[in-house]
Amino acid sequence: MRRWWHSARVLVGLGLAIAVLICGVLAPLIAPHDPNAQDLLATLQPAAWQAGGDSTHLLGTDSLGRDVLARLIYGARVAITVALAASFGAMVIGSALAYLAGYFGGRVDWLIGRAVDVWMSFPPVVLSLILMTGLGVGERNVIFAIILVDWTRFCRVLRSEVLVVRRRDYVAAARLVGFSHWQTLTREIVPATIPLLVTLLTLEMGIAIVVEAILSFVGLGVSPDQIAWGQMIADGREAIYQAPWTLLAPVLAIFLAVAGFNMLGDGLRRSLDVRMVEGRE
Amino acid sequence: MRLLASLTRRLLVAVPILLVVSALLFTALRVLPVDPAAMSMPPNATRAEIEQARIQMGLNKPLPVQYAIWLGRAAHGDFGQSIHLRRDALRLVAETLPATIELTGAAMLVAGILGVAGGLLLFALRDRKAELVAETATTVLMSVPEFIWALLFIFIFGVLLPVLPFTGRLAPSLDRPVVTGFLLLDAVLVGRMDVLMSALAHMVLPALALGLAFSTPVMRVLRASLLDVYHEDYIRQARLRGLSETRILLRHALKNAFLPTLTLLGVQFGFLFGGSLLIEVIYSYPGMGNLMVDAVRNADLPVIQLVGLTYCVVVLFINSVVDGLYQVLNPRLRAR
Amino acid sequence: MTGVSRRGLLQAALAAAPVLSQINQAQAAGSDHVTIGWPSDVPSWDPDQRFAPDAQGIFKMVFDQPLDQSPTLQLVPHLITKWQLAPDGRSLAVTLRDDVTFHNGDKMTSADFRYTFFERIKADPKLDIGRSWRKVTDIETPSPTTAIMRFSSPAPTAPVWLAFLGSFVVPKTYLEHVGADGFRAKPVGTGPYKLAEYEMNARIVLERNDAYWGPKPALKRVTIEIIKDPSARVAAIQSGQIDLTISVPVREVTRLKAMPNLAGELNPITRVILLQIRNDEGFSDQNVRLAAHHAIDKAALSKAFYGGAAVPLSVPATPGTPGYLADFKFPYDPAQAKALLAKSGYSLAKPKKIRMATTNGQFPSDYDIARAIVAMWKKVGLDAELEVIEYAKYFELNRGDKLPEATLYSFDNATGDPEIYTGYLLNPQLPFSPWKDKVFGAKVIAMFNVADEKARIAGWRKLNREAVEIGASIPLLQSVQTLVRKKSLAYTRYGNGWVLGQTMKWS
Repeated sequence: MRRWWHSARVLVGLGLAIAVLICGVLAPLIAPHDPNAQDLLATLQPAAWQAGGDSTHLLGTDSLGRDVLARLIYGARVAITVALAASFGAMVIGSALAYLAGYFGGRVDWLIGRAVDVWMSFPPVVLSLILMTGLGVGERNVIFAIILVDWTRFCRVLRSEVLVVRRRDYVAAARLVGFSHWQTLTREIVPATIPLLVTLLTLEMGIAIVVEAILSFVGLGVSPDQIAWGQMIADGREAIYQAPWTLLAPVLAIFLAVAGFNMLGDGLRRSLDVRMVEGRE
Repeated sequence: MRLLASLTRRLLVAVPILLVVSALLFTALRVLPVDPAAMSMPPNATRAEIEQARIQMGLNKPLPVQYAIWLGRAAHGDFGQSIHLRRDALRLVAETLPATIELTGAAMLVAGILGVAGGLLLFALRDRKAELVAETATTVLMSVPEFIWALLFIFIFGVLLPVLPFTGRLAPSLDRPVVTGFLLLDAVLVGRMDVLMSALAHMVLPALALGLAFSTPVMRVLRASLLDVYHEDYIRQARLRGLSETRILLRHALKNAFLPTLTLLGVQFGFLFGGSLLIEVIYSYPGMGNLMVDAVRNADLPVIQLVGLTYCVVVLFINSVVDGLYQVLNPRLRAR
Repeated sequence: MTGVSRRGLLQAALAAAPVLSQINQAQAAGSDHVTIGWPSDVPSWDPDQRFAPDAQGIFKMVFDQPLDQSPTLQLVPHLITKWQLAPDGRSLAVTLRDDVTFHNGDKMTSADFRYTFFERIKADPKLDIGRSWRKVTDIETPSPTTAIMRFSSPAPTAPVWLAFLGSFVVPKTYLEHVGADGFRAKPVGTGPYKLAEYEMNARIVLERNDAYWGPKPALKRVTIEIIKDPSARVAAIQSGQIDLTISVPVREVTRLKAMPNLAGELNPITRVILLQIRNDEGFSDQNVRLAAHHAIDKAALSKAFYGGAAVPLSVPATPGTPGYLADFKFPYDPAQAKALLAKSGYSLAKPKKIRMATTNGQFPSDYDIARAIVAMWKKVGLDAELEVIEYAKYFELNRGDKLPEATLYSFDNATGDPEIYTGYLLNPQLPFSPWKDKVFGAKVIAMFNVADEKARIAGWRKLNREAVEIGASIPLLQSVQTLVRKKSLAYTRYGNGWVLGQTMKWS
């Protein structure tokens, strides 16, 4: 029962994540309308099942008369791009530093540890806000900002894991049989930490989606001509009384996407038996 | 005494971190594509007037010199003037920080209460079918970021059933007593129940939105630590001595399982404190978050610099306190 | 942290709900309080320091301007009872009231007038008020109630400026005594209300000045809640937490108006929404500029974002002001736009690429309007890349010559004078204009020195038309102030959107 439930959860999580991915990749095929087509004569139309709704716009239209469903589907593109690129980037930087720190210890470890301390003394939201002010809006800058903020998540957790792995017998043995540092790291230590990395990566994708939404919501995210859920929320909030669907639809989309990645990550954590410190954005 | 000593040591460690942070901030803000000299002048100032302002503000000097000047002044409590508001930056922060601390404190309380209650519930449900449902529920809850809660709460409790206020800190018809800047405390100090009630009512939704988002990790860690603790010998011994389950839970297990939870709350505080920024914006709550967003919008460098630094100081301070508490409370660490 | 026990806190939280519902109904009819929800704070409590159109009304409750405007925008006596501009426009003689006192009891005299408009400006170059009175070379004060302003060049709009933006008389003795910081912390004016309490970005509480020289306000206390978020203002007026608010989305006005106790208004005001245009880069070609203008369906913009209440404009001036041309219409004509672009070698297949900037949240629906314009342009072969800028950076960008080809802009001119529309928007020497063309610029600058009122107005009207015909200006709409209030609250509606506590009363 327990096993079944857990694997069901992983499956649901995986399903949601794949659904978002498919929406993003196949958006032009699935979307019922051009997401940028405006109709100033039909703004803030209600959803199809509400009074006055129209089945051509299932979720109604936004303040510029654009189809909400089409924008929702296209919005998955930015979300998934940012989620993948930012979490991989943060993983590469964070884990590289973690391997260095954990493996070599000493001064390297001290230096990297202090860098993490400095970074962690900034609340992530504040740091990403400051970074975006400097970088300017745009998808690439959002990714860059998330990497710059979130590499510590990987570094911190992974470093302690590397410390543990390094003390294991087979690592010492590898050195004794003449493996170089590079070989020891890549052949012995990295493989031993893969389960943790995969788990962290999955969870980070959920976080990246939220951060992108927050930044776009305050107008410091992707550029104005891109379609993003956070931007849709900002637009929809203006019409919270008139057309709550324009707000609730992207809210729901973010929720489902993040829930998907979290369930997946959580399931992986269990099945791969990873221990880690919990914390959230 | 031990707490004090350990706290002092940790705070001393924080000083170099702050120096690095301030230098990083300073450099980052100076490479922004804005000209503080021009922004400090009226829109139709001449170029010559702007140049003069630039020299006056020391912006013609090399960056390290500018930083040294800034640092020297900061050591005397002079953090410069807001370019946009022409007011002392430190006073702006001093006026808005109490509101943010109050909000974060309330949210922390919410996160703590909900987290402990939820953790106990999860623990009580262990090895039952319902646990799976409850656990899935926490995963799902964890997926809702605070700004989504904030919007949903406004929609539900402000618009659908208008029962709670969601703008500002106090009802418009009330006078605000000013003693310490902490509104709740001031209301108590001057004995104004109406102000206290109104302030609390204004705090419910933002604190709930912020606290709820941060309560799920607390639940999980408490549950996990309780599970750990229950494997320890003394629990078995307590059972053998015939103590009731409730007593074991409250007197023994909870006491020990509380430490990791406390640490987590410390870590969470940093996130929560940062998260308050968005909540303040959404609820028009007059705290440091709103000051920050305004400063960012207007490229008000001295204010961004000081507010950023203040966020760091508060986070470092709380982390030090939590670390100190942890050391004092943890019997194993103390033995060493 | 709070000194309240946890149990007390919980009890208080539980008890809060019923208390709150009482608070909601606190402002009943017959009360002498009013609570206003305002979208922005004052820049500081020194009214002469930073100019902000939305703050002028708030300052007008605490301070007085030398001259005032009637609800229909005529100049009327205020602190000044009589004024006379010399025929050459180089001096202005004024007579001040002798019964005006500041809130601290000091008498207001010509010395304060001289201090405000001359001494203080020369001493501190960072004051915005100094920019509007650059031409002042001296102010003579023959007696405590008379003063003569001297100008370096003709200043035909000097009387208008005495009623505009930040021209508020401040107390010389008090200011010199407490200093600028002290003044901002504890401002003293001559206005109908005194500042009783101020929490930055949150609330302003004003108490009636019972010693006011003019008509005594009906309401004893005015509270201004600073609520920046439009949906929060909507919620606050709907739930009864505030009695009046402005700048709510137009659609919300329609919805709120249907509620039994609320009244909603869409008031056209003296604010123009337009595109500020460059004369070079992608817009160096007049065909392209005119095509950009012909392609915009202003009526559709008005209908979609202002419920049709915003009047489409063909010149940068609002109806009812001297610079407005009722008989000149620049038509919406996408076919003509395409033809003009074709003449310059552009088409749908080979679109002309330009950039456009907009603010987001500076005025209602600004971002939506910009995105709608981009879509309209796309249909005729103009491909605009949109960027969002902060209003505070507009001048900075313009000074650095970094504004894009078109910038969506809203310009407030509470006086309605044509010089303060076209003269400011298109003067290459002022920070508002990205149009730097020397030929047209010289014509604009020359108009500033015309002292004869008839010739002046005629000249501006001619320039208004020319500016649009050469594509130096793309006026869009007359801005609409949305206002929602409790039905039982009466106030005086001004043509420039002022909402003044001293004009309010409960019925």
